[in-house]
Parts: sequence; structure tokens; C-alpha cells
Amino acid sequence: MSDKSVLMFPRPKSDTPGLAKPGSMLLTQGALMALGAAALIVLPFLVTGYVLYIANLLLVFIVLCLGLHLVIGETGQFALAHAAFYGIGIYTSGLAGNALGWPFPLSMLLAGLVAGAVGLVIGAVALRMRDIYLALATFAFGEAMQWVFLNWDQVTGGPNGLRISPARLGSLEVLTDRQAYPVVVIVALLMIVLTVVISRSRLGRSFRAVRESDVAAMAMGIPVRRAKITAFGLSAFYAGIAGSMFATFSTYIHPDSLGFQTTILVLTMVVVGGLGSITGAVGGAIVFGLISEFLRQTPSYQEIIYGLILIVFMMYAPRGLFAFVRDLMGRMARG
Amino acid sequence: MTIDVVFLFLQQGVASGLVIGSVYALIALAIVVIFKTSEVPNFSQGEMVMAAGYIALYLLVFRSMPLWIVMPATILAAYAGAALFRRLVLNQVARANGSPVNLVIATLGLSYVLRGFVRQTGFGDTPRSFPPVIEPQSIMIGQAAVTTLDLVILTTAVLVMAAFFWMFKYTKIGRAMRAVGMNPKAAQLVGVDLTRIHMIVWGLSGGISAIAALLISPKVLMTADMGSIVTMGFAAAIVGGFTSLPGAVVGGFLIGIIENFVGLFISSRAIVLAPFVAIMLVLVIRPQGLFGGRVEIKKV
Repeated sequence: MSDKSVLMFPRPKSDTPGLAKPGSMLLTQGALMALGAAALIVLPFLVTGYVLYIANLLLVFIVLCLGLHLVIGETGQFALAHAAFYGIGIYTSGLAGNALGWPFPLSMLLAGLVAGAVGLVIGAVALRMRDIYLALATFAFGEAMQWVFLNWDQVTGGPNGLRISPARLGSLEVLTDRQAYPVVVIVALLMIVLTVVISRSRLGRSFRAVRESDVAAMAMGIPVRRAKITAFGLSAFYAGIAGSMFATFSTYIHPDSLGFQTTILVLTMVVVGGLGSITGAVGGAIVFGLISEFLRQTPSYQEIIYGLILIVFMMYAPRGLFAFVRDLMGRMARG
Repeated sequence: MTIDVVFLFLQQGVASGLVIGSVYALIALAIVVIFKTSEVPNFSQGEMVMAAGYIALYLLVFRSMPLWIVMPATILAAYAGAALFRRLVLNQVARANGSPVNLVIATLGLSYVLRGFVRQTGFGDTPRSFPPVIEPQSIMIGQAAVTTLDLVILTTAVLVMAAFFWMFKYTKIGRAMRAVGMNPKAAQLVGVDLTRIHMIVWGLSGGISAIAALLISPKVLMTADMGSIVTMGFAAAIVGGFTSLPGAVVGGFLIGIIENFVGLFISSRAIVLAPFVAIMLVLVIRPQGLFGGRVEIKKV
């Protein structure tokens, strides 16, 4: 039963057999997780502020990727307005901190909720369309939002950008990347856990059913429209939270960094990691975030290399880096 | 604003709108012809326009070649580049995983490569402009002021579109393209070489982009980011229904006129926003566009 829609998504194939027994696989996974957790804990004691800044940024990208993963990878809806929701999150939490002096957990929640609410409204309108039309409508919304950030001078500071005052909790002030790091790590971990929970719940299953074929999903009694709008709203919520995470360690935001380019950067991460898997979204964010940071000094090379990575991955590893490595290892194991 | 001023603005808006709209229509045509035959919205169309503009600039200014060589050379280069991209890259992408979203992402990749490459050459660092090809003289049509260059742009664009429509409707290649658009498998069964048709479609789309670049470059400042003009092409294509070639042309002229009206009657700051509002309005009110026909019911 296949639905030849325009923007159909690669079906995740079952894992290559012959790699390892399920038990040892679980063990490696557990070991990897423990290793990752240990690295996250010791990191701030070992490295400089700059490295911690990069770590914070990567964690923000991870949450952005998880959001896009929910709507594109899980639900199969090609939405291209992620940077707009990210921007809404940054400005909301920044302004709540600047003007109202809210403690940061509250302004973070507010940022997520505002972005999520806007996402629900846009989703309700845009999800009447599918495929290319949905992509273009969300693209148009993203560009329009960037225009709003750039021209709503009284609120966003317009082309001058906005200074974000340090995040506060009681008398505690977050002044450095080092101080922001624990907050950012905890929020990122919470979001990863939330994603896993959603993915394994009834809701996550209904997302994937919609991705495979919305007609079949409807026939199974899944409220397709509601599932799509929920995914869209959740994805916006994630982007809003990512924005507020960014606001805890950054002191300044300019609308230039909230355009289509940023959406494409996040899309690239999700695609390179592997559409449809949480590991892919997280891994893609780390790998590609590092590449993009290393190439920041030379924008022309950065663009050429981004482009080539996208093209080469689509040509030879369309299911992403991790599936590619797994296939390779499977092939080697079989000789 | 008195009645006189409104009337003057209306005339000027329509005149300037038709001129710039003819370029948007060409870009929209280039987008739609690819979409019709392979269901891929080409996100690198704007960068194809940009790259072609820089090829022409390079030949004209840095190699000081005469215009009658530069123009065909640019169009040919764009044709060859686009056809090769389809053959060497997109064919492999389609083989690796047939889903159109991968093709779309590959076109996004191409747009990055082209932009980075132009930046790398250094020509894109400062805004440049084409040397004036013909002496711009002002001509009054009614109360609207246009230049001779404007008239050349409009005439050329209309001629190119006419030639394209004739090709699409009456030649064997055109028929093959339409067949591929309707049903690729059936087209293949009756002897259409899919690879060849896709290459020609991409080549033509690249060639049309190059013509659009040659027409628009004397009027704008060229930068490596000038590919953002594609937004207007997408807006035009959507207004026209995205699968309709005549729709793309009408949409192009409409977007051109709307853009000028917004600039004259509302504010020049709002011009940038106009295409996005147009896209969203059309998609919400009439998603199939003006010429899109009925929404297809898909088989499961």
C-alpha cells in the first residue's frame, strides 16, 4: 500500500542482520550512553570557555534537530519554518528576562509555549496542504517572520539586534558559558528523554502511521489532521525551548541569523544524521555542528562544503551517516 | 492621495510591474517545467540565475568579449551545467533512493555550492553591475515612464516564452516532455528516453534562468545573494498553480505588478514581504492556484 506523494520519505529499512546479537547491541548502547553522560559531566572541568560555548551551541542544535525530527522524520511533513520558531523562542525568553525580569525556568517555559502556540496556529492553516505546498507555505511564513524580527523595532530592536540580559534565578545570575552549561545540558537531556517517550507512545506511533500513508492511517481510525497539527506544534515548542536555551548563554541576537539558512542548517543535520531516527538527529547535530563551527572563518568554503556534503549524502548515503556506517560494518562483519 | 496621483501610480505600477514581472515569469517557468516532469521543486533555481549572471559578467567585463558572444555562451554554459547536474548527480540520487525529498535536498546542496563558489572567486564580494548594454532612454507610455531597456527586457522575455510554449506544444521533444510529466513509466514504454528528457528539461530550465539573469542583471546590483530573486519566481509559480506553465507566466506578471503597487501605495519597506503574503494568501484561499485545476484525488 503505497502513497506516491511528492515528498515521500525514505522508509527506514530494518537493521542489517549479522552485525551483532541484540543483547550485545543493548550492552554497547548502554556503554555508549554511560560514556556520553560521563563526558558531559567532566567536560566543564577540563576545557576552556570557548569549548563550552561550542558545547552549549551543539546542545541547542540537538534540541532544534529533535524538533525537526518530530515533524519531518516522524510525521513526514516537510515544514521549513524552524528558524522562525527558534527566533520566537529567543525573543520571547530574552524579552521576558529583559523587561519583566522573569527567572529563567519560567521564561524558558514561556518561550516554548509561545512558539508552540504560534506553531499550532500556523500548523492548522498550513497542514491543509501537503508536500511541496506545505514546504512553500512554511518557507513563506519563515521569511515573513524574519521580516517581522527585522522591522518590529520597538520590540525586537530591528536591525540593531537585541541585547539579552543575563538569565536569572533569584539572586543567581548566569554570566558565563560555564555557568550556563549545566542548565543547557539538563534541558537538552530532558528534551531527548521527552522525544524518546513521545516516539514510543501511542502518539509517536500515530505520527509514523501518518508518515507512511495518511489515507491508511485514517482508515485505521487515527485522527490524521490532529496528529499532524500536534507534531507541528511540538516541533515549534522544541524550537522555542532551543531558542530560550540559546538566550541563557548568549548576550545578543540579530535577525540575520534567523533566516532560511538556519532552517536549512538544521535540516542538513537531520538528513545527514539520518531521517527518522533520534540517534540520527542527535548525531547529525553534533557532527554537522562541529563542521559548521570549524568552517565559520571561511564562509565561502563553508557553503561549498555544506553543499557538497548534502549532495554526496543524497547520492551515496541517503539514509544518513549512521545507517551508512552500520551498513558498512555489517558488510565488513560478513566479510 | 488625490485621484490623479492614484491614477498615475496605477499606470506606473502596471508598466514597471509588467517589465520586472516578465523576468519573474521566466524564472517561474524554469521552476515549473522541472516540477512538471520530475515533481522536484528546484531550490537551486535562484542560484542558477545568479551563477549565469556571474558567468556573463566575467566574460563581458573581465574578458571583455563582445555581447553577441557573451549571451549565447552564457545560455549554453547554463544549459550544459544544469543538464550535467541532472545526469551526474540527480540520476544517482534517484537510484540511491527514489524519494523526491532526496532530490530536493540535493538541489539545496547545489544552491550552496554555487553560492560558495561565486563567493570564492571574489567577484561576489562587492556589489557589481552590468555595463549598460543599450543607452537607457526614457519613454512615456500614457503617464508611465519606462526606459528602452525595460522595453527590450519585456519583449525578449515574451519572445522566449512564446518560443518555449511553441516547443512544448508542437515539437516531438515537447510532446515527450509532456508525456513524461503525465506518466513516466508509460512514456518509457512507448520509447521515450527518460534520462535524455530529464537532461533536456534541466538544460532548458538552466537556459531560461540564464536569459532571466541576462535580462535582470543590468537593472539590479549583483551580489552572491541575488539568487533570492527566486522567491518571486516561487511566488509566481504558486499563484499560477505550480503545475501550469501559462499559470507561471500570468503569476509572474501578477507578482511583478503587486510588488510595484505595494511599493507605490504602501511602503518600499513592505516590498520584501509582498511575495510571502501573496504565497500564504494563495495557499490558504486557493491552494491549487489560479490555473492549477482541481486537486487530484490520489490513489492509495
